[in-house]
Amino acid sequence: MRTYLLKRLLQIIPTVLGITFVVFVMMRSIPGDPVVSLLGDAYTEENAIKARHDYGLDKPILLQYVIWLGKLVQGDWGTSILSGRPVLKDVMLRLPVTLELIVLSMAVALAIAIPAAIIGALRQNTWADYGATSVAMVGVSIPEFFLGVLLLLVFSVGMGGALPSSGWVYLPGTCQTVVCAAGLWGNTQHVLMPALALGVGRAALLTRLLRASMLEVIRSEYVTTARAKGLSERPVIFKHALKNALIPTVTVMGLQVGFLIGGAIVVETLFAMPGLGTYGIDAIIARDYQQVQGFALITAFAFVVINLIVDLTYTFLDPRIRYT
Amino acid sequence: MMGDIPMRSTRPLFGFLLGTVMLLGLIDASPTEAQTPKRGGTLRVSYGNEIAGLDFHTSPGYEMMWVGMNVGCGLINITPDGKFVPDAAESWQMSSDGLLYTFKLRKNVLFHDGTPVDAAAVKFSIERIMDPATKSGMRPFYESVHSVEVLDPLTVQVRLKHPYAFMFHMLAGYRTGLVLYSPTATQKYTVEDRKQGKPEAVVGCGPFKLVEWVKGSHLVMDRFDKYFEPGRPYVDRVMIRVIKDPVTEMAAFKNGEIDFIASFSPDHVDTLKAQSPKAHIMSGKETTPMVAQMKVTVPKDGKPMSVERAPHPIFGDVRVRKAVGCYGIDRQEIVKIAFKGQATPWVGMAPPGTLESVNVNHMCPYDQGKAKALLAEAGYGPAKPLTLELMTNNEKSVFSVIATVVKEQLARVGVTANIRVVDKVSWMNTTLQDGPWDMYVEDLLSLLTIDSNGYLSTAYVSKNSSVWSHPRHTDTKVDDYYARYAREMDSAKRKAIGKELLEYMADKMYWNTVSGSPFYMVSQPWVKGYVYNAEFEVHWDRVWLDK
Repeated sequence: MRTYLLKRLLQIIPTVLGITFVVFVMMRSIPGDPVVSLLGDAYTEENAIKARHDYGLDKPILLQYVIWLGKLVQGDWGTSILSGRPVLKDVMLRLPVTLELIVLSMAVALAIAIPAAIIGALRQNTWADYGATSVAMVGVSIPEFFLGVLLLLVFSVGMGGALPSSGWVYLPGTCQTVVCAAGLWGNTQHVLMPALALGVGRAALLTRLLRASMLEVIRSEYVTTARAKGLSERPVIFKHALKNALIPTVTVMGLQVGFLIGGAIVVETLFAMPGLGTYGIDAIIARDYQQVQGFALITAFAFVVINLIVDLTYTFLDPRIRYT
Repeated sequence: MMGDIPMRSTRPLFGFLLGTVMLLGLIDASPTEAQTPKRGGTLRVSYGNEIAGLDFHTSPGYEMMWVGMNVGCGLINITPDGKFVPDAAESWQMSSDGLLYTFKLRKNVLFHDGTPVDAAAVKFSIERIMDPATKSGMRPFYESVHSVEVLDPLTVQVRLKHPYAFMFHMLAGYRTGLVLYSPTATQKYTVEDRKQGKPEAVVGCGPFKLVEWVKGSHLVMDRFDKYFEPGRPYVDRVMIRVIKDPVTEMAAFKNGEIDFIASFSPDHVDTLKAQSPKAHIMSGKETTPMVAQMKVTVPKDGKPMSVERAPHPIFGDVRVRKAVGCYGIDRQEIVKIAFKGQATPWVGMAPPGTLESVNVNHMCPYDQGKAKALLAEAGYGPAKPLTLELMTNNEKSVFSVIATVVKEQLARVGVTANIRVVDKVSWMNTTLQDGPWDMYVEDLLSLLTIDSNGYLSTAYVSKNSSVWSHPRHTDTKVDDYYARYAREMDSAKRKAIGKELLEYMADKMYWNTVSGSPFYMVSQPWVKGYVYNAEFEVHWDRVWLDK
């Protein structure tokens, strides 16, 4: 297990570097130039040439990447070309917001998916099953931004501001800024709609997947044996069937993190949340290369680490799985 | 100082400035209350776009400017009716030849770091903007400045190389106006420190001092207790948040989460009125032009920005420019569809709300017959159909709507326009760097005066023209017009030149405006004392909260 873990941890390095390299090259290959945004109405050919030189943008792409990498290993993630702000500082400010959003979205997804899938599997081809499947289909079909707007119109506009439409209140103890709103209740109010908007689509997907796994598992011999031993239905389902059925679902959950990060861009923009999603999209639009690199680095790292955790979870779900 | 013209805020400045009195309708919606202002509270402001940076002399964008106007102070300000009023300067004089401007500063003005706002600080700030190394977008407007002299600690004199009719407008209202920086703090900290909004580096003398800017989250300014206007500002704090989605912005406004929307999407004004009937919606005559620009020349040698120019293959021919831009576009229809009638169809280069703008709509009536005839004369017709690329960007949804309407209108005269939608940065790259484009739809920066920003003042000029001269015409007659216009101190004569200039530009179709671009600000009913002055002046020092 230790060797396996070490191997996987070492694999993270080339994977993340590979992703950052691809992003680095791609950003510089698409049309657009950050000095245009930087200089604004002071844009002249002369100023642009000077600015490109100042930011090292006139160097070959490979050399720029090596310089970026060299600084990175020293803990310097660079500074935003546009705002001059240190990328690492901004990423760390925004990371808790997106992390909380993603974790809660997944929690929402599981809270919906697990009961719906169990009901669907146990009551196959009944109205309960059709209902759960239909809801899942609708959930998969609704884009995050549309569901987000609907939630906004219902809970924020329609219900007289039952939930705040925008902004963020930090969890107590997580504030890193001078002026900061923090509180558990405020945080819950602010995260509820975004987490629902982001989580429902994933819930739908996971419901369908888990239902299919459950259908397969509950027909397997060890479940029949468990029932034959006289176990009541609850432990049969939750202890024997669900744990095994969860394995493919957990795999997909790990892969869904990528989609959640993509969805976070939309949801954070809609609900005006100061998270990594808005940070990333602003950077891409402005061609703020350093900021894009920071975004790519942290999201790639998060994706790889979460998938490693997912792999390790298999041993908990199925003790037969051993890593050597 | 014989022959000099003394000026104070309580008096009209000089003849031609009196002519600006209405600033063309900008006083539409200024809420003026007779109630006694209350102290305290936080004004919660929402921005539709992120602040780019906080170096007031170099960072781009309105969002930065509106912070700069509140953290910084300048020499003078401009009111919605075009009067110049004191800021750090209590009085000022202009010599009769228009070459010497003398400003007397107030005694009690301090920067937020406690250092005095004196003549040396004024000299420092102006020279910083004029220094090419600063890369300030305001530098072209100081082209006429010869030198800045400190006469005594409270008197500063600006000497010009030649008369410049818009010196006061420039100091008061171009971009941020002149923002004075604390020399001590500015020399101590780097431009990067100011750009990223380190409070100790961004030291002005305005009513609010910067507390914190967290990009993507908030910007906070607190009341400066030693502000030189007694009792002001009234609110203790201004908190700015960015809400990009208008639907969310409306919901936040309806819920009372925000007090003030600094720039509201015109597409959603009707919905906002329905959702929040008590909202105070402020607007005025448009000061921003919506254009369907046509490229006039291309580099002869294929190198972008080459001084050797050749006519653009399509729009190098004035007959085609007039057929397409003048007679082929139905501006009334564009306004009706894209702006629900809430804009002014316009042909002239300077939009309807700009000082000394002239309506030249009669020069370009929608006339399909004339458009077809001109196209035929230029060799286009069924045998040789004209196809062009119509570029726009996705910054505002209205651009695509207008591009679609223009495409449809051009189809009526046998012209095929292929729409290409790009993002804002790509659009800027293509246009600024002399890239390949035929026509584009965009709205440009708002104009206080015809002269008032680099987009236009340098766009007039064919020689040494700036990158912002997107059509890149090479007509030196325009240069002459502009030089005469900007240096003419006699109001009547200048207006006459301005009219000629605008008519000439419309006749040659060097600049193709289709309409004004409406601008809206919104405030809650409890927000009192705000004086609307379009995009030009956004000051929160008189604002108070009646709740």
